[in-house]
Amino acid sequence: MKHFMKMVVQVWLYFYCICLWRCFKFILRKLTGRCELQRICYKNKPGAGRTLKIEASLKSSKSKLLQSSVTVHPDAIEKTIEDILALKKVNVDTNPQLAVSLQACLLQIAGYRHLTVEVEKLRREAYDSENPEHEEMLIKLWKLLKPGVPLDARVTKQWCEIGFQGDDPKTDFRGMGLLGLYNLVYFAEKDTTTALQILSDSLQPKCRDVSKEEFSKVSKTEWEMKKFDKAIGYSFAIVGINITDLAYNLLISGALKTHLYNVAPEAPSLHHFQQTFCFLMNEFHKFWIEVDPVDIMEFNRVRNKFHKRILKQLQKTDMALCPHFAASESLVNV
Amino acid sequence: MIDITDCRVSLATKADLMPTELSFMANTRSDQAECGVCEDVFTLQGDKVPRLLLCGHTVCHDCLTRLPLHGRAIRCPFDRQVTELGDSGVWGLKKNFALLELLERLQNGASGQCSSSDESLGGSGESIVRCDEDDAHVASVYCTVCATHLCADCSLHTHSTKTLAKHRRVPLADKPYEKTLCSQHQVHAIEFVCLEDGCQTSPLMCCVCKEYGKHQGHKHAVLETEASQIRASILDMAHCIRSFTEEISEYSRKLTGIVQQIEGGEQIVEDGIGMAHTEHVPGTAENARSCVRAYFSDLHETLCRQEEMALSVVDAHVREQLIWLRQQQENMTILLSEVSTACLHCEKALQQDDCRVVLAKQEITRLLETLQKQQQQFTDLADHIQLDASIPVTFTKDNRVHIGPKMEIRVVTLGLDGAGKTTILFKLKQDEFMQPIPTIGFNVETVEYKNLKFTIWDVGGKHKLRPLWKHYYLNTQAVVFVIDSSHRDRITEAHSELAKLLTEKELRDALLLIFANKQDVAGALSVEEMTELLSLHKLCCGRSWYIQGCDARSGMGLYDGLDWLSRQLVAAGVLDVA
Repeated sequence: MKHFMKMVVQVWLYFYCICLWRCFKFILRKLTGRCELQRICYKNKPGAGRTLKIEASLKSSKSKLLQSSVTVHPDAIEKTIEDILALKKVNVDTNPQLAVSLQACLLQIAGYRHLTVEVEKLRREAYDSENPEHEEMLIKLWKLLKPGVPLDARVTKQWCEIGFQGDDPKTDFRGMGLLGLYNLVYFAEKDTTTALQILSDSLQPKCRDVSKEEFSKVSKTEWEMKKFDKAIGYSFAIVGINITDLAYNLLISGALKTHLYNVAPEAPSLHHFQQTFCFLMNEFHKFWIEVDPVDIMEFNRVRNKFHKRILKQLQKTDMALCPHFAASESLVNV
Repeated sequence: MIDITDCRVSLATKADLMPTELSFMANTRSDQAECGVCEDVFTLQGDKVPRLLLCGHTVCHDCLTRLPLHGRAIRCPFDRQVTELGDSGVWGLKKNFALLELLERLQNGASGQCSSSDESLGGSGESIVRCDEDDAHVASVYCTVCATHLCADCSLHTHSTKTLAKHRRVPLADKPYEKTLCSQHQVHAIEFVCLEDGCQTSPLMCCVCKEYGKHQGHKHAVLETEASQIRASILDMAHCIRSFTEEISEYSRKLTGIVQQIEGGEQIVEDGIGMAHTEHVPGTAENARSCVRAYFSDLHETLCRQEEMALSVVDAHVREQLIWLRQQQENMTILLSEVSTACLHCEKALQQDDCRVVLAKQEITRLLETLQKQQQQFTDLADHIQLDASIPVTFTKDNRVHIGPKMEIRVVTLGLDGAGKTTILFKLKQDEFMQPIPTIGFNVETVEYKNLKFTIWDVGGKHKLRPLWKHYYLNTQAVVFVIDSSHRDRITEAHSELAKLLTEKELRDALLLIFANKQDVAGALSVEEMTELLSLHKLCCGRSWYIQGCDARSGMGLYDGLDWLSRQLVAAGVLDVA
């Protein structure tokens, strides 16, 4: 009974607040003579801050037109904006900036949605060893990561050297499909030095400082064994696939909006996503070294910690996951 | 004949036979002895050999074997007295040697009467040849001319005349064989033997038979040579028979030895200073028995220990519970008294005059506040704690007791990369199929099923991670090994990993559940094929294991596997107690 009362009060408060908010908006509108969209556009700088607010405002609007404008096709944006301006009775001549800003925002929103669809489609496409394009891509990845080393066969133990689980990388693409492969290839191609650095780091045995005394205590064979154990660092390729999963989850949950709206003034596209992936790879590598886990079994713990950290970073609206490395130099200027 | 019957009667009275058994003498043929049960004639050996019971009755072996066993004893069919049997059963009962001797004599008497053909054939040298002159004498010489057997005295006496004294007399042993005359041509002696197959029934012939008679033109041999040949072969045969007899006796000796080894018994042993003394040597039967006894007494002990332990667990639980409850009771009493005091206070205040009521206001409010606080605490407590008198008890397979609604079990899922470990885990956890990414490290989830709570550790199957599996074995009650049945090429790899797992010391007592995953894929190996390919019966010999076909996509078979696990872990019949 008590709980029920609590709930009733909460529900009532919720409706009350909505009502209040609408009244408040109405009063503001009468006072300033501007609609909410205008107020947002004038108050916020272009970027995630503005676009996110516009999106929220449009989504919670009473008007069907405004609600549907979020999901409109990119080609129909101009028409939609005209409709909106007409509906809100905004004078285009006195407010020339509004249409432009609104168009940019809507483009970003539509672009993000489109990107989600595209990424989802890529993820769903399973790796097919019959498909020459897929095969070519995989061989390209090998060539980029192991320049000068010929591949013995299509199915070979060599794949383990770049961090796949078995003889055939195909099985490792099950969860992320082609998206994983595309990301890895993009990373290796566009940011070769970093990729190679991470790969070589992942293969290095983890060196822990062992004092001379300790060293004399353990016999040489034991030392060798320990070294071998330590050599089980993380594996480049499957970590790449795991980070792809992380990026994908961020994208689907909408957390990446902040970043993408900030870095892509026009509609965000696949290469923005892939750049994000490169950045995440790099960050994760740094994070891994910083955390310095005992062995690979801690991967999931480290990964969750990393995920939380990224989410926290993305909560700030003016935040772009601003990567300072080769692949995203173009982004730094944004 | 008569004296034998007499003897038997006297023997029977001596043996103190019962009248029923004696009947065989009265109403049957007087020279036969019969078993009182089956009325078959006793024999010297074989099924119908007479054996003696403790009460003195004699029953044939066959009937004894048919008597119902009462533990290790049988009852006499005549007087219901009990006779204990040894390890060798009926075979261990003593034969009735008196009766056997009697039977032998009976038989010998019969044969001695019915024919004397043995004697007429000349027999062996041992048989006594009577002197032809006087039956009372024993012959020692043979006159070759008169063809008579004589003793030394009679020989001198009969051959005293001059003519007769010339007769050649030889010792009986050197007596020449008599020439047998042909049956058809009485004057001719038999000189030849026919070798034709058709004449083997009557091969002997004289010269007339040979030249003109029925053996005319037949192949033949001289009688002497043929006879000596046959003799030689008989000798050979006798030799063979001797060795054969030796073999038989050797074998029977061995049998006796083995029987003795099994039964055990007294044995004369010489000790260090050369003093001989008897010692009881235990037979193998006894050893086996003591082995069984030791095993079961061990088992009893373990059971007793386990029972005690389980009871102590229950005791501890009950004690804890009761202590807590009693404390609560006490708290409640205190609370009650406090509340009643407050009530009393209020009532008192009510009855006082206005000034005092106003004065008492502060105190009353304070009282009420504390009361309210206590009430709040009380309701919180009541909300939190469910009072339940039941003590749900579950038993594990190793006879430990578990109290509580859920039994926790630690399971580790292993297998090659891409076998579907993580998929299975999440299917069990959330009942949804998702295509997972390669596991780096491990996932851990708890899955509740029936009254069990599985903590499942899913460890990545990547090649490099496999050496790290061992960190997850510790205290694991069960291993779930997942195999991709659609991937035939990797079966050998899976097999070698599984074989490696099974040699681990930490996993010696762990249950092994094998999931043949991806049964939905066309061309997947069936459970039977998989068992065959992995030679599981050999590999998992001596541990409890189970192979279950499953499909993580639809969840088919997963819960059957868990069912098996729970059946293995929880003692039968108590699964639904909680």
